[in-house]
Amino acid sequence: MGLLSILRKLKSAPDQEVRILLLGLDNGGKTTLLKQLASEDISHITPTQGFNIKSVQSQGFKLNVWDIGGQRKIRPYWRNYFENTDVLIYVIDSADRKRFEETGQELAELLDEEKLSGVPVLIFANKQDLLTAAPASEIAEGLKLHTIRDRMWQIQSCSALTGEGVQDGMNWVCKNVTAKKKQ
Amino acid sequence: MGCFFSKKSRRKSPKNDSALPDGDESATGNDLPETNNTALGSNSNQEAPKQYSWDKREKVDPKDFMLTGLKNETVGRLPGKLNGQQFVIQDCENCNIYVFDHSATITIDDCVNCRIMLGPIKGSVFFRDCKDIKCVVACQQFRTRDCKKMDVFLCCATQPIIESSTGMKFGCYQYYYPELAFHFKDAGLSIFNNNWSNIHDFTPVSGETNWSLLPEDAVVLEGVPLPDPESEFKSVRISTEASRSIVPLTKGGRRTESEESCLFVFFAGDYTTANARKLIDEATTKGFVLIQTKEVSMRPEDVNRVFQNNAENLTEWITKGPVVALELNGDGVVEACRSFADEVFNGTKLFVSESKNTSSRDVDNFFNFADMQMGL
Repeated sequence: MGLLSILRKLKSAPDQEVRILLLGLDNGGKTTLLKQLASEDISHITPTQGFNIKSVQSQGFKLNVWDIGGQRKIRPYWRNYFENTDVLIYVIDSADRKRFEETGQELAELLDEEKLSGVPVLIFANKQDLLTAAPASEIAEGLKLHTIRDRMWQIQSCSALTGEGVQDGMNWVCKNVTAKKKQ
Repeated sequence: MGCFFSKKSRRKSPKNDSALPDGDESATGNDLPETNNTALGSNSNQEAPKQYSWDKREKVDPKDFMLTGLKNETVGRLPGKLNGQQFVIQDCENCNIYVFDHSATITIDDCVNCRIMLGPIKGSVFFRDCKDIKCVVACQQFRTRDCKKMDVFLCCATQPIIESSTGMKFGCYQYYYPELAFHFKDAGLSIFNNNWSNIHDFTPVSGETNWSLLPEDAVVLEGVPLPDPESEFKSVRISTEASRSIVPLTKGGRRTESEESCLFVFFAGDYTTANARKLIDEATTKGFVLIQTKEVSMRPEDVNRVFQNNAENLTEWITKGPVVALELNGDGVVEACRSFADEVFNGTKLFVSESKNTSSRDVDNFFNFADMQMGL
């Protein structure tokens, strides 16, 4: 075993690897968020046909982020990725009012899933940079988030494009991962 | 959990709602807070909500950025009137819609029998539940869902996608108005990055194709006519002539007559775009065909892989900015390109294929590299 891999093992204890599932409707900004987390160029992003994964270091954790395509046709495949998820990040396009009902529906179904029970959920009210974006409070109300009783949850307004609000959301993730892992 | 946005649900009265945690500044019932930054959470010990840039900016009326429920009208936005903001079009019928400005993102919902011209879009354009649409669109991402019968003259920086849509036809973007080149720049779109002909279908049907290419001689004006001369758009000097199009016409996935292609690459300089256009004009005048173009940044390690034996000087040239590459096709195109390079572009930093024996390898090496760069 090489020196480098020994060092790596010493540095990061296995239980500090976090599996994050990034879901939401198509065109919500999941991949932009993923690239932003990885500090990569976000000016040329293509609609996700399957999924993307990135590993990102954050506050002593190694976050393995799975960004899954959100087209209606491929949402049935989301369940293939549920197992062993430590945190669910759900991304909403705050400026696409036409699809608020649809996104609420999908989120409700996710929170009903056995394999995701108890998993903390961070809801990013994304695209706040757009003029017609609904505020996080309005979205929280519409989605009846306060009725969530079975897990930790948080709604965070952000712009994945500019990065604003993203770190605040991730701070919550890191705080709540420790909580979940202790269970 | 239920969903407030569901048409079936009814809004709870604020007094009944005791579930909101203490110290939470978020909305209770009808009292929407002045700020929209509330980070709501299940943890009742909320810190004071942070102020973000969207909390501090001037509030606008969403209706100023929407076209809703119009019928038999000519509507849209003149140059400078949208200025990079979001735009929403919905429930329009038999309208001619012209957005002569750059925008952040545009959604088009439930429109029927409309002719639509959309100026350069920095993010995505998303057509949903639309029917009988003819449009001219330039965007970073092109998406449709539940659409039927659309003719799209497209410039798209990434692979266009369709879902549950049929009768979709695509052609190469072809449009000009005086501010259009600036709008492309403002939207961060390159006129050389156009994936108009390779569509990804999320719901393919065996035995059928939901999309196809428009006939090569399809006329833009027959799809999207000039605005009514009585309308507010009469001042916009439009041209749909091929030679004036801001986006060079590319053959894309269409079949070619000749087996011979040539790679021509301009390295970054003051006149890169002008030079590329000049080459395209010269080549097409001589009967050669422009297959594809790409504007992409290269790193030193890419140069050897892509240009192989010819890589010597090129490594320092690529640091000045992105390169513009063109694939031209036709019998004798390599020889013609080498003449152009000598006669017309003497002194310009460029690469041309050496011979027709090596040129198809040059083309493959370059465009495979470019596709990798521009994927994730």
